[in-house]
Amino acid sequence: MLLKKKSLAIKGALFVAASMIMVACGSDTTEENVTPPTEDSVVAEVQTQEVTYSLPSPLQIASIFKKSGLKYKAGITSDMKDPAKYTSNLNKAINLGVYSADLSYAVLNKQNQEAMTYMKLSRQLADNLGMGTVFDQGNLSTRFEKNLSNEDSLAYIIAELQMVTDMYLDENDQQQITSIVFAGAWVESMYIGSKVYEKGKDKSLNSKLAEQMTILSSIINALKAEEKKDPAITGLIADLVVVKDLYDGLPSVKENPEATEDTEKELTLTDDEVAQLTAKIETLRMKFIKG
Amino acid sequence: MKYEVFTNPLKKHLKMSNKAFYISLVGLLFVFGFTTIQTADNCDKKALTTSCKKKLEPFKYDSQKFTKINFTKKTQQLEVEVPIFIGEKYRLVFNTSGMPKGIKINVYTKDKEAKKRESIYSNKDAKADEKELVFDVPRARKMFVDYDVPADSTSQKLTGCMIFMVGYK
Repeated sequence: MLLKKKSLAIKGALFVAASMIMVACGSDTTEENVTPPTEDSVVAEVQTQEVTYSLPSPLQIASIFKKSGLKYKAGITSDMKDPAKYTSNLNKAINLGVYSADLSYAVLNKQNQEAMTYMKLSRQLADNLGMGTVFDQGNLSTRFEKNLSNEDSLAYIIAELQMVTDMYLDENDQQQITSIVFAGAWVESMYIGSKVYEKGKDKSLNSKLAEQMTILSSIINALKAEEKKDPAITGLIADLVVVKDLYDGLPSVKENPEATEDTEKELTLTDDEVAQLTAKIETLRMKFIKG
Repeated sequence: MKYEVFTNPLKKHLKMSNKAFYISLVGLLFVFGFTTIQTADNCDKKALTTSCKKKLEPFKYDSQKFTKINFTKKTQQLEVEVPIFIGEKYRLVFNTSGMPKGIKINVYTKDKEAKKRESIYSNKDAKADEKELVFDVPRARKMFVDYDVPADSTSQKLTGCMIFMVGYK
């Protein structure tokens, strides 16, 4: 009986040893099968190292507009209706961005109840996108409700929500959603900014609208980099290119090419140019929220 | 002490076979586990994010970027474009603890295709054990974060991940 036990133990050990050899051989085989990098394959590898993008948050865009003197105007944010009408992932992500921009605008202007509603709508859309759990991390939803009267705390909570969302999407290899959400937020922020400008014609706000246009190429390129993950992105890119082409063709922009690079020079558009830009942004924004 | 009595030879054989099977299974798990540990990168995104966030204070979180890096036999240059705005104050926090070996980090205001550009930040003077690097950004319109990844002539297939976080005031 002792011999049999030993025999089985030896068999077991041999099996483990054989498995280790198989694993080791497997690694070696894989290693051997790797073609040594030739000049061509190396060149191809380097060429695929595309530039990637780190886009800002909707809260920062809202904050920049706020600092430039953007006042609160009731009724210009998106309808606070059931987001179930957005059925495609593209539309859900775009409108999550729209809600994010509206939420930021409401928070920075101390519109607490409106902010609460946009927070809930954002949660619903995030649920529909399968990422609602980000709102539960660190009790973000509860903390938001408890701090409704404190603008600074709310802004901090939104920034934290952005951080956990970014991490969630990155961990789940869904970086395309980050870019789509920001595209939606950017268009909504530009819409709010241009609508408020229509009323007061504030010069500082005019410059900020022009400055925001300089990041449109980054948004388009970030979306292009993710186009393979969701073919529906192609249509969104085309829509944004229409806005960019209009802006690039404006006389004030063509006459001041250095304004996009020079950190000391701010570009001011004519009222007519802002009106043209506003019309394009409004059309696109309508398309977004219609779904 | 309680002894087990095997009355049925078949039952006894099966019991012994089970033991050998479990020993083998544990062995296999060890082998595969070890192999996995050897090839995985150190990219604990949650830990890296938490670490960067602490260094970002008192700036407010804006965005972050993870970059997975696969070492090859040739040097590589990876670039991340970061749009920023006039008049805003920004902080960048890098964390290199997900990298198996050192890489060069540079920040420029122009992209790598530009004929002439100057670095506004470099990690060349950072100590080897300094894993968290903080950079408060001067006035700029755009930033281009470049990672210069050295060649790896071994057959280890080294991988790693870099993170930087952007904050604003």
